[in-house]
Amino acid sequence: MSRTASETPVYIVGAGIHEFGRFDGPTGLDLAETATRRALLDAGLTWSDVGYAVGGSNVSGKPDSLVGRLGLTGVPFPTVRNGCSTGGLALATAAHALRAGEAEVAAVIGFDKHPRGAFDPDPAAYGLGDWYAETGMMTTTQYFALKAQRYLHDHGISSTTLARVAAKAFTNAESHPHAWRRKPLTVEEILAAPPVNPPLTQYMFCSPNEGAVALVLATGERAFDLTDHPVLLASVAVRTRTFGSFEVFSPWLTSGNRTSPSVDAAAAAFERAGVSPADVQVAQLQDTESGAEVIHMAETGLCEHGEQEDLLASGATDFDGRIPVNTDGGCLANGEPIGASGLRQVHEVVRQLQGRAPGLQAPGAPRVGFTHVYGSPGTSACTVLTV
Amino acid sequence: MSTDVDAGAAVRFVDPTLVSATDPVVLRGGRCAACATRTFPMQPSCPLCFAEEMTAVDLPRTGTVWSWTSQHFGPKPPYRTPAGGFTPYLLGYVDLGDNLVVEARLEGDVADPPAIGDPVVLTTIDAFTDDDGTVVRTFAFTAAPEVAR
Repeated sequence: MSRTASETPVYIVGAGIHEFGRFDGPTGLDLAETATRRALLDAGLTWSDVGYAVGGSNVSGKPDSLVGRLGLTGVPFPTVRNGCSTGGLALATAAHALRAGEAEVAAVIGFDKHPRGAFDPDPAAYGLGDWYAETGMMTTTQYFALKAQRYLHDHGISSTTLARVAAKAFTNAESHPHAWRRKPLTVEEILAAPPVNPPLTQYMFCSPNEGAVALVLATGERAFDLTDHPVLLASVAVRTRTFGSFEVFSPWLTSGNRTSPSVDAAAAAFERAGVSPADVQVAQLQDTESGAEVIHMAETGLCEHGEQEDLLASGATDFDGRIPVNTDGGCLANGEPIGASGLRQVHEVVRQLQGRAPGLQAPGAPRVGFTHVYGSPGTSACTVLTV
Repeated sequence: MSTDVDAGAAVRFVDPTLVSATDPVVLRGGRCAACATRTFPMQPSCPLCFAEEMTAVDLPRTGTVWSWTSQHFGPKPPYRTPAGGFTPYLLGYVDLGDNLVVEARLEGDVADPPAIGDPVVLTTIDAFTDDDGTVVRTFAFTAAPEVAR
């Protein structure tokens, strides 16, 4: 389904971030308020201009309660909660509302404030028996390791490539003012780090942390009134899993016909935007761990399965390579406040397309960007962004 | 094998609905009456053809390692830490054939992990101990005898 000429174009006209990290004192809602005020300032708007808002937080408060701080304007304010893909779902929900004529300006707000350590999900919330967690099989890091292990085996990818992904993330983060883990590490240091779940070591995983991002969207003419550099949200697509995908917290799988919601969401986003994966000049991919970035490169169509080995070795995904991936260091260097993470990706690509990247700017004035966020139990959201 | 419990200690299986027998252990899956898709555990409807009639089926006791990893940090609750404290353990997915792969603990030493494709057979391991001393077992796969090292 291609975007029709009559469809209302939606632009991103403002972006704001509360940097990711760990902060004593502020609540998740405090971080969200800061990001929202920064996004409004970036757009040259006030809260009273916002005609529709969507918020997302997995564990850190009710997003719509922000109206008590930002202003009781009566604005419609649905909230979404879709695990790690929450940010993408919030953006999609707001874009759909604008296209449906609900308003001309919308705010999208994502935030979270997680305790240290891996997530501790409730089996019942995933429709699983207590046995699955009690016997030590309900840890998200295991899923990523098991998927990566099989992928490396099937496609001839080395653990060195996994380490290169992490090394690239920390290199990109070193000069990025919003990034959390900015200390460069060598491929050798990353490979030699303690294992968490083989083939993944300590430095190949992102950590849950704290942060918030807000975006301001506007339709058509209004967008160009607000800024000289609006970024077109050429498409946003959301998909859940279909039969044959390999998802987190799966007591069983099929052995063949491998698919994924990322394959489906990316294909839908590219088709709707009328661009090809080969057109993408700057990308953000879900990199919960190194293997996820490698796998998602192929699942989203940016390369063929197995091609990642050469692409990472040749620096093709570096900030100045042929297809820069995770120019802000991704989840690996920023950590993952679930509700904010997908919007961080969009924030970074918007800045890259505007030519004002906070960290390393992809050269050559990129005009086509792509974002991909993935969350349990198998939801992906992708965007194509253009200028 | 997990027979190193005190004689007379009470033993229970972690979730009896997962198995149709415990000695030897047999996993109880679901089979769609309409399209023959199998699931583990048993579930009330088919995820492929959406039919709402699934029947219980015994799953094969042998398979091959489809993927593996090891767990090197103690998971948060509701994980139940063993009586002797957390020690790293192996787990993986085992291909039982006919397009069904099951996740399970793998018996063995994390320093000597299996390889993808290794033949394995179903067994039970002691997972943790209840407050009253009851030993709680779960299913696991272990190296098939012909490749035991």
